[in-house]
Amino acid sequence: MKFTNLLTAGGFALAATTGAAFAQECGDVSIANMNWASAELMANVDAIILEEGFDCNVELVPGATETTFASMNEKGQPDVAPELWINAVRTALEAAKAEGTLAALNGGPITGLGEGWWVTPKFAEEHPELDTVEKLLAHPEMFPYAEDESKGAFYGCPAGWGCQLVNANLFRAFDMEEKGWVLVDPGSAAGLDGSLAKAAERGDNWFGYYWSPTSIIGKYGMVMLPFEAEYAGDDNWNNCVALAEQDCDDPQPTAWIASEVNTVVTDEFMAKSGPASDYFKARVFPGEVMNGMLVYMSDNQATGEDAAYEFLIQHEEIWTQWVPAEVADKIKSAL
Amino acid sequence: MDWLFEFPSLGRKDLSTLRQSIDETFRTFSRAYGDDLEAFFNPLLKFLVWFEKILIAAPWPLVIFVVAALAWVGSRSWKITVGAILAFLAIGYLGMWEDTMATLAIISVSTLVCVVVGIPIGIFMARYNRAQAIITPVLDVMQTIPSFVYLIPVVMLLGIGKVPGLLAVCIYALPPLVRLTNLGIRLVDREVMEAAEAFGASGREKLFGVQIPLALPNIFAGINQTIMMALSMVVIASMIGVKGLGVPVLRAISNQYLALGVMNGLAIVALAIIFDRVSQTFGKRLQAYRETGHG
Repeated sequence: MKFTNLLTAGGFALAATTGAAFAQECGDVSIANMNWASAELMANVDAIILEEGFDCNVELVPGATETTFASMNEKGQPDVAPELWINAVRTALEAAKAEGTLAALNGGPITGLGEGWWVTPKFAEEHPELDTVEKLLAHPEMFPYAEDESKGAFYGCPAGWGCQLVNANLFRAFDMEEKGWVLVDPGSAAGLDGSLAKAAERGDNWFGYYWSPTSIIGKYGMVMLPFEAEYAGDDNWNNCVALAEQDCDDPQPTAWIASEVNTVVTDEFMAKSGPASDYFKARVFPGEVMNGMLVYMSDNQATGEDAAYEFLIQHEEIWTQWVPAEVADKIKSAL
Repeated sequence: MDWLFEFPSLGRKDLSTLRQSIDETFRTFSRAYGDDLEAFFNPLLKFLVWFEKILIAAPWPLVIFVVAALAWVGSRSWKITVGAILAFLAIGYLGMWEDTMATLAIISVSTLVCVVVGIPIGIFMARYNRAQAIITPVLDVMQTIPSFVYLIPVVMLLGIGKVPGLLAVCIYALPPLVRLTNLGIRLVDREVMEAAEAFGASGREKLFGVQIPLALPNIFAGINQTIMMALSMVVIASMIGVKGLGVPVLRAISNQYLALGVMNGLAIVALAIIFDRVSQTFGKRLQAYRETGHG
């Protein structure tokens, strides 16, 4: 198909030559395909755009925040982490940036995102007076823990995620144990989602950690509770709350840190990528579009790849802004 | 010739409608019966919590003493008993005592549930060929289906925690016990059975007086396999919120904490070896007894 185009149309011949030039610069690119929906979608959009538009040879590598970052930091592989939640790895990332081994190309690939503590919408409606985290913490009896009815269940973050440490330290900072709470480790993303979905489906109360943009937040209309405490400063957060429990003796109550998501690439990729790195700088998904795509994914049980094609077909006006016009044409013809 | 290379599959849209309607059916079922199911399993949950609390609250020398006594009663071997004591001392010294107790609790209760459910099913299978024909493929599915697949419905029905974890463990660990009970009873000599019949034994007497005693070594091999497989599910169970040695392993996996992972992994192995040696030597002693009985 491309070959005939090359023969018949001069314009396409030009595009193909530029493509060949990109290919020399671009070569093999590995992109981290993180194990949650928005990152899967983003990785697949990146893969299609780089492959079709910039003639890169893209390989998607499964990953998770901590593992992928460690691998990029130590081994320089994969080349690109499209959606890296850097709060979890900030100290190490700053060090790597100073050293020049990693670079953050995009400071906000999705708008309007955040982490925090959420409740089910039914609870928020029934108890409008409990509209902050601190007020709710006085009522563990509203969230009985199945294994010990006298305690309230607070669903933290799965073991091994960066947010697990934060939740454990905030649990201590707000004296939640004395207030009658249990920090439940859901064990895995499936466990956390399952507990939330089960409670929301049955109309039970649920209080725990989650983040947006995610389809489950949109689907069940979960409500994020604000903290009364102010953000108690980077020193408290980076040097205590975000560290392992034994490295944080005295965590201070604090609001959740403003979330920061970056697209992070290795120095090797910076050196070889050429125009592809401009694409990463321009690529910003509006939050509501991302939420819409996530609901599409869960409603249709679409894979990241399915959703990426759906996005490229439905939201041309967005992604065509990210790439030069002739690259956009190449991608459109490949869809 | 396209049809030769393109498989005539259900269209994308139909396929997704099919999947969605299955999900919707399940969701309706979970909404309608989830609470009842939870209430049904509530006594089991209470028992699990109670048992874990006892193990954690008990003074450690007492726990080690009980473990050593059980090891001695089971195996009558000094080597195994001393090994068990040393393993538990090491586990405690390396700070894994509470997690080990939690794991011990869920494994013991799982094994108990498997025995209570599995042995009758095995006997039933041995009595009726048709039951065997139906149950065998079910056991095949239970053993081979990836555990993550049934974790989803279990979590939707029962949430996360001990009971769903126990169910996940039992789905995987039950089949060998059922199979070996069935096999053990079927392997009982026809002549022995004829002799029992000649003496006028009733069906019940034949089962409890002849078949089960003679099948005991096989049944014990089954219990041994069940314990081993239950221990291998510890990490998976932790993925749906079961406390124990699996949690630090999960944390170690995602954070590259080499030492933490290895230590907790080895604690699981130590539990497995103790259980295995004790139940195996116990089974062997039963066998020896049977042989002299025949002798």
